[in-house]
Order: sequence, then C-alpha cells, then structure tokens
Amino acid sequence: MDVLPLTEPVLLILLSLAEQPRHGYSILKDVEEMSDGRVTLSTGTLYGALRRLLEDGWIERYEEEDSSRGRQAYRLTPAGRRNLQLEASRLKHLARVANLRVARKGL
Amino acid sequence: MLSLYRCLLYLYPAPYRYEYGDEMAGVFRDVLSETRGKGLLPRAAFFLREFTGLLHAALEEHSRTIAGSNLLFPSSSRRFTMRSEFRFPKATPVLMTIILAGVILTIEKATAIRESLPLAYPQQLPPIHPGRLTFFPAMAVILLLAYAAAVIGCAVLFALRRSGVHRLSEMPAAPRK
Repeated sequence: MDVLPLTEPVLLILLSLAEQPRHGYSILKDVEEMSDGRVTLSTGTLYGALRRLLEDGWIERYEEEDSSRGRQAYRLTPAGRRNLQLEASRLKHLARVANLRVARKGL
Repeated sequence: MLSLYRCLLYLYPAPYRYEYGDEMAGVFRDVLSETRGKGLLPRAAFFLREFTGLLHAALEEHSRTIAGSNLLFPSSSRRFTMRSEFRFPKATPVLMTIILAGVILTIEKATAIRESLPLAYPQQLPPIHPGRLTFFPAMAVILLLAYAAAVIGCAVLFALRRSGVHRLSEMPAAPRK
C-alpha cells in the first residue's frame, strides 16, 4: 500500500473521524485530547489535510442537522476506514516487534 | 484579529479560499475565543502557530496547484501523496542545458577543425555565428533561455490548471438514451 505510513496529523484526524462525524473545531480539540496536548493543529494544517483526504475519497462531507454556515462536518468513507485499519494493523505489528526486542535486550 | 486572518486567507489560491475560507475563519474564531482569558504566552503561541501554519499550507497549495505535487515541502507529503496525472519535469531545464552545452561544444570543435584547414573551406561566416561565441557567454545565454522557457512552461501549466481543463477527463460520460 503506497499511501502508508500516514503522517501523524493525518492519522489523528482519521482517528477523530472514526469515532463520529465532526466539524473542524471538534477535530482540532479531539486531536489535542488524543495526543495529551502534544499535537495542536493549526487551521491551515487541518484544512490542508482535510482537502487531500476529501480528494482521495477517504472522508466525505456530512450534513449535520444543526449545521450552520462555516461549520461543515466530515466523516470517514469506507475507503478511509479501510486505510485507517491497515495503518492501525501496521502500528500494532510494529509495537509488538518493538516490545519483543526491548524485552529481549532487557531494557 | 479575525479580520487579519481573513486577509491572510487571500494567500491561498482562489478556488481553495472559496471552498474552505469560511470554514477556516469559523474554526479560527472558535479557537480564538477559547484563548481569551489565557496568559500572554499561550495567546502568542496560538497566533504564531496559526499564522505560520497558514503560510506553510498556502505555499503547499500553490505548489500543488502549479506542479501537481508538493515541490516546496516534499517531506510533508512524502507519506501521504496524491496521485497526480501530470507533473512538470523538474530536471527539464538542467537536461536542456546539458544537451545544448554539448551542441555548443560540438560547434566549437567543428569550427576549430575548419579553421585548421583554411584552404578547404572558404570564409563565408555571417556577422553573428554561434561558432564565434566563446564558451562561457554562450553557456550563460543558453542557460537563461532554458530557464525562461521553463518559466513560460510553468506559467502555461499554471494557467491551464486554473482553468480546470485537466478535470475534463474526470467528468462522467453523458448517459446514453
């Protein structure tokens, strides 16, 4: 899969949308919460990533019931969810290998 | 501050600004209201992050609009790249320069051989002849012409991409009756 591995901002955005559809501000806050304050996205970075994800069909626009001008929500598409699962599997494998090697060396 | 942010959104390409400008301004307004009441350092960090992020992203979008890929910041899109149907070859001006340098050297060599045999070839050179040019001024002229051609080519591609002609291939075919 030539689109993996994902950059951390993209991964966090996808994880945020995996839980539920969200608009931009909600994604920003959820990413900050998931990373324990370590990752704080700017609006430029966020919408650059959202635009690329939209064009690649990994996310789509979602019309909320109480949507107003300037608060557009997004959600994962099946393709986006599939790629996120692939990335999660890759990271899980990597973490398992890392734990085994660290334990082997007694670190 | 929101007005300043809206002005900075004009750094983006117009289609991007039209599609995402209102959303981005809305999110900025929400985050800005959250920073009110916080100290000077958190607010300064917020403004620095927002404006540098906006500048960086605007440059990325312009780079992507012109060349279909992130030429300015390739590492930021290295692991999440979009497939581009056309990319202007970055090595073209360099390759053109090398090829033309070879042509110039060949002409220089041919001129030197001809001048070593003055009786065999009559001297009928025009006032300005490529063989009369010395190597380095000729290289400078060729280099300038090559880069001018590359700039013109990029400008043409930029104009074409802005016109949206590259999206014609993505349009669905008309249904048959």
